[in-house]
Amino acid sequence: MTPLSHYLMASGLLFSLGLAGVLLRRTIIIIFMCLEMMLSATNLSLVAFSRYGIIHGHQNYDAQILVFFIITVAAAEVAVGLAIIVALFRSQQITHTEDLNRLKF
Amino acid sequence: MNPLFLELALVLLGITLLMIEAFSPKIPKKKLAFIALIGLAIVFSLTWIPLQPLSAESARFYTTDTIALFFKRFMLVTTMMTLLMSLDYIPVLERGIPSEKPESGIGEFFILPIFACASLMWLVSATSFIMLFVSLECMTVVLYVTISYLRKDPRALEAGTKYLILSALTTGFLVYGISWIFGVTGTMSITHLAAAIKLLPTTSLVSLFFGIGLILVAFCFKIAAFPFQFWLPDVYQGAPTPITAFLSIASKAAGFVVLIRFLEQLYLLPFLNKKIFALITLLAMLTLLFGNFAAMAQTNMKRLLAYSSIAHTGYLLMAVASLGISLALPALGFYFVAYLIMTALAFIVLIIVTETSGGDDIYRFQGLYQRSPLLAAAMTIAMASLAGLPLTAGFFGKFFIFQVTLQQGHYGLLGVGTLSVIAGIYYYLKVLRAIYWQQPAPEALPIVLSTRTTFLISTLIGLILILGIDPAPILMSLR
Repeated sequence: MTPLSHYLMASGLLFSLGLAGVLLRRTIIIIFMCLEMMLSATNLSLVAFSRYGIIHGHQNYDAQILVFFIITVAAAEVAVGLAIIVALFRSQQITHTEDLNRLKF
Repeated sequence: MNPLFLELALVLLGITLLMIEAFSPKIPKKKLAFIALIGLAIVFSLTWIPLQPLSAESARFYTTDTIALFFKRFMLVTTMMTLLMSLDYIPVLERGIPSEKPESGIGEFFILPIFACASLMWLVSATSFIMLFVSLECMTVVLYVTISYLRKDPRALEAGTKYLILSALTTGFLVYGISWIFGVTGTMSITHLAAAIKLLPTTSLVSLFFGIGLILVAFCFKIAAFPFQFWLPDVYQGAPTPITAFLSIASKAAGFVVLIRFLEQLYLLPFLNKKIFALITLLAMLTLLFGNFAAMAQTNMKRLLAYSSIAHTGYLLMAVASLGISLALPALGFYFVAYLIMTALAFIVLIIVTETSGGDDIYRFQGLYQRSPLLAAAMTIAMASLAGLPLTAGFFGKFFIFQVTLQQGHYGLLGVGTLSVIAGIYYYLKVLRAIYWQQPAPEALPIVLSTRTTFLISTLIGLILILGIDPAPILMSLR
C-alpha cells in the first residue's frame, strides 16, 4: 500500500503550486484557477488523512464529510466569482490584476 | 424551543422574501426591507425564549453557550442596522445598477444580508471545524455578491474582485490548516482539541504547529490583524456603505468569536500558551500602531473609518491577549456593542452626507454644523466615542479592555494602547474640525432628514450616552 507520506507530498506540492500561482501570475482567471487548485490539494490530504487515520478499528469519516462541503463551497465560489470577473471585464475590459488600481493600494 | 430553530427561521424568511421579490414585481422594494426588519426583530425576540438542551448529535458541532447567544443577538441587531442604513442608500443603488426600470435589481440588497446573518449565527455557535468552515464560507459568498453590488461603479467591482481573490486564498489556508490538525489529532471538534493534543507524542508537534499557524493566518485575515490587513481599506472604500458597515461590525465579530473558541483550547496547553500569548500580544501591538498611524494621513472618510476599524481590531486583540482574566470576555463583548452603535452612527451620517454633497472625502463634511446641527452632533458623538472620550460608550469599552490588560500584566501592550488612543484622538478630531471650524462649500444646501432617519440617529446617540454612563447591563449579560 502506498504510504501516507506520498499522498501528503503530492497534496503539499499541489498546494504550493497553487499558492505560487496566486502570488506570481497576473491574470485574474488563472489566479482563480490556482485558488481552486489549493482547495483540491486540501481535499487530497483530507481524504488521505481519513483513509489512514484509524481510530478504534474504524476509519474516521469526518474529513470526508468536509471534502464534500469543500467541493460544494468551491462550486458556489466559482459561480459567484466568475460572475464578478465577467462583470469586471464587461464594464472595463480588465483581465489583469495590475489594472485594478482605482482604489489606491 | 429547539436552538436550531433561530437560524432556520431566518433562512425561511430570506427565501420567502426572495420569492416575493421574484414573483410579485409590483411590490415596492422598501416594503421588502420593512418585512425583513420585522422578521429580524421577531427572531431577535425569540432568542429570549429559553432553549431546549441540544440532542447528542447536534452537540457535536453546535453550542448555545453564553457567548454564542450574545453574539447571535449582536448579529441580528447588526443586520437590522445594515437594512436601516440601506433604506437611506436606495438612490445610490438605483444609480449603480444597470436596469430599465427605476427599482429593478435592488430588492436582493435587502434580502442577502439575512442569509449572511443566518450563517453568522451558525458561525458563532460552531464547535466543529466542518461547521465553522461551511458557515464562514456561506457568509463570504454573500459578501462577494453584496460588495460588488453596484455594477456600474468600477470601484465596487474592483473591491469585489480583490475581496474574492484574497478571501478565497484565506479559505485555502484555513482548510489546509484544518486538514493538518485533523491528520495529527484525528478530531474535527474544536472543543475537544486540547484533550486530543495532550495525548499526542512530541514527534507530531511540528505538523500540529504547521496546521495551527495556517489557521491563525486565516483568522488574522478575517479580523484584519496587522500583516493581513492590506485588503481592508480598498474593500471598505469600494463596497456599498451599508455593506462596509456590515463587514466592519458583523464579519469582524464573527472572526473574533471563532478566534476565541480556537485560542481557548490552545490556552489550555501548558507548553503552548506562553508562546500564543506572546504572539497575540505582538499582533495586537502591530495592529494598533499600524491602524492608528496610517489613519492619520487619510483624506477620505470611508478609508479613515477603514483604518480606524483596523485600530479597533488592535484594541479587541488586547482583550484576546488577556483571555486568562475572567473579565476579558465581558470586556470584549461590551467593546463590540459600543463599536456596533458608534460605527453604525458614523456610517449613517456618512451615507447622508455623501448623498447630499456628492462624495465621501473629509472636506465634504466642511460646515456640516451649518447644514444640519443634528448630523453634526451625531458625528461628534460617534467620533468622541470611537476615540474613547469619557461619557460615551467607547470610553468604557477601552477602559475595561485596558483594565484586563493591566490585570494580565501586559505593560508593554498597555503603553502601545495608550499611545494609540492619543493618535486616535488626533484623527477623529480632524473630522470634527471640518464640521465646526470650516465653512461649507457655497453650493451646499441645508440637509433635510426624514422622520425615520432622525429617530434612528437620535436613538443611537441616546444609546451611546446611556452606555457611557451605565455599562453594567451589557457586562452582566456575558458574566
